[in-house]
Amino acid sequence: MAKLTIPAEEWMYRGHAACPGCGPALAMRLLLKGLGPRTVMSIPACCWTVIGTPYPTTALGIALLDNPIESTGASIAGLRAALDALRIEDVRVVGFAGDGGTADIGLQALSGMLERRTDAIFVMYDNEGYMNTGVQRSSATPQGAWTTTTPVEGPRRGKREAKKEIMSIVLAHHPAYAATVNPAFPEDFVRKAEKARDARGPRFLHALTPCPPGWKFSSEETIELGRLATETGLFPLYEVEDGVYRITRRLGTLKPVDEYVRLQGRFRHWEPEDVRELSEEVRRGWERLLRLERETAPAVFPKPPVAIAAA
Amino acid sequence: MIEIRFHGRGGQGAVVASELLAQAAFLDGREPQCFPFFGVERRGAPVTAYARIDDRPVGVRTSIVNPDVVVVLDPGLLATTPVCDGLKDGGLLLVNSPRPVERLAAPDSVRRAAVDATAIAVAHGLGSRTMPIVNTTVLGALARASGAVSLEALGRAIDRFVPSHPEANRAAASDGFASVRCVDAGVPSSAPPTAWAPTAPLVLPDGPIATVPSRSIRTAAWRTLTPSIDLARCTRCNFCWKYCPDDAVELDARGYPVIALDSCKGCGICAQVCPPKTIAMVATEETAP
Repeated sequence: MAKLTIPAEEWMYRGHAACPGCGPALAMRLLLKGLGPRTVMSIPACCWTVIGTPYPTTALGIALLDNPIESTGASIAGLRAALDALRIEDVRVVGFAGDGGTADIGLQALSGMLERRTDAIFVMYDNEGYMNTGVQRSSATPQGAWTTTTPVEGPRRGKREAKKEIMSIVLAHHPAYAATVNPAFPEDFVRKAEKARDARGPRFLHALTPCPPGWKFSSEETIELGRLATETGLFPLYEVEDGVYRITRRLGTLKPVDEYVRLQGRFRHWEPEDVRELSEEVRRGWERLLRLERETAPAVFPKPPVAIAAA
Repeated sequence: MIEIRFHGRGGQGAVVASELLAQAAFLDGREPQCFPFFGVERRGAPVTAYARIDDRPVGVRTSIVNPDVVVVLDPGLLATTPVCDGLKDGGLLLVNSPRPVERLAAPDSVRRAAVDATAIAVAHGLGSRTMPIVNTTVLGALARASGAVSLEALGRAIDRFVPSHPEANRAAASDGFASVRCVDAGVPSSAPPTAWAPTAPLVLPDGPIATVPSRSIRTAAWRTLTPSIDLARCTRCNFCWKYCPDDAVELDARGYPVIALDSCKGCGICAQVCPPKTIAMVATEETAP
């Protein structure tokens, strides 16, 4: 019998209303395994508001606050202030928002919370669109992807604009801890959630969470797609602690992005040229990440171990 | 005027069904109207859509509370949603179900009809195995059972407005038309009656609002395929447990997986991630009710 590699305790309960094969549901399950029960969570309008709490039930074994879609950052700052006023120190405050509630509508409150050094964790579960309302494009939708508001017909070929780089925006605020997580890599996900739990100051996790109906793939492929997203270099796993980059899943040769693209109906209209462009972009992104890791690495010997006497 | 209410799950095509019905009625030379209930649009979530058909322009714009016809695209909804609410005496209940029509849970005062649209849709390759798209098959059955539209107009509407596989959809509608089974009002239902308590007015408590763990909710009816584990070949690696997004896999004392069949939605992830491939997704014989 293999040992469990992630905690056995479940803080997300069965019976929730997520679609079969839901990436965000698995992300929540893994996140709470890392954070544990001494957690208070704020969720804005997003898939998880309807997944988690069909009245009068709750799928979460922790305290939960519902808030408007633009307000997650502000609401977790308020929760932290309230806990501080009550001198409750061992409870973590977490915001759990979709890409719309983070990178679009929620961006101001997120920036405010990061800039004020709020002692809280902000998690963006990125299903790359407004999926709960029926698949509309968001700023996190990748370039060339079909959505209902970026159709593929005649000269139109899906979303024209590039995906917004939320990690770069967050890192420009110099958070205490920021990391990318992927539910297809549960041990890495839980370890980073635990690290975020134990850090102080503003923390951010960017989770890529495949969405079967929105990305148009069969529900059993959720994990395979997640693995491919990372192994192609499209969504590398790394963490940034006090400005120091560390890649947590090293890649030898990058898998062809075509393997990731062709599993998804939202890219069905792509030509080989589109795949080539994406490959190039992914390669540049990966090289940039390697460079950042090299440049921010702390010196092995911060000071010369022995003063060298002048000859 | 005939008023029709559709109940389905996100992904089955209930909203498109109401649109196709209205388009077919228009091609029949009548005055149709259709619109969905605005709600969440998740795959699997209950969805409601409405259609009205008249010989004069339809002025009323409200949702339909006293339908002449109720169409249920997913038999699992009979157990969880009061689909027959407000259905007129002598009205028609049409359900996608392989069951004998006498055994559909419905008031005795309504006509009942059943069509095994899931089997027909799968046979015509419509949708995926986990989520067959049954709307055109059910519309064929509806054309026969209600006479609301002609099969010929329905076929033309499918040709014009169904972007993918119009031929398979037209064939499925014909099969639905041919195989629908009906029973008249007054024949007692052999299904146990379902009691529906009226919804109590909402009184918000001072403390937490939602306190009942969702474990009490059964989501088994979402499932069309069920995981079946060959325990003799299981290596107890616990991948199926680790990757389940529904917390529907438990490990017994010896580390063997046990599927919580009341909760499993049949997504198939466990079968996909299992390293020795000991899990097969098999057709669910008959889901609720």
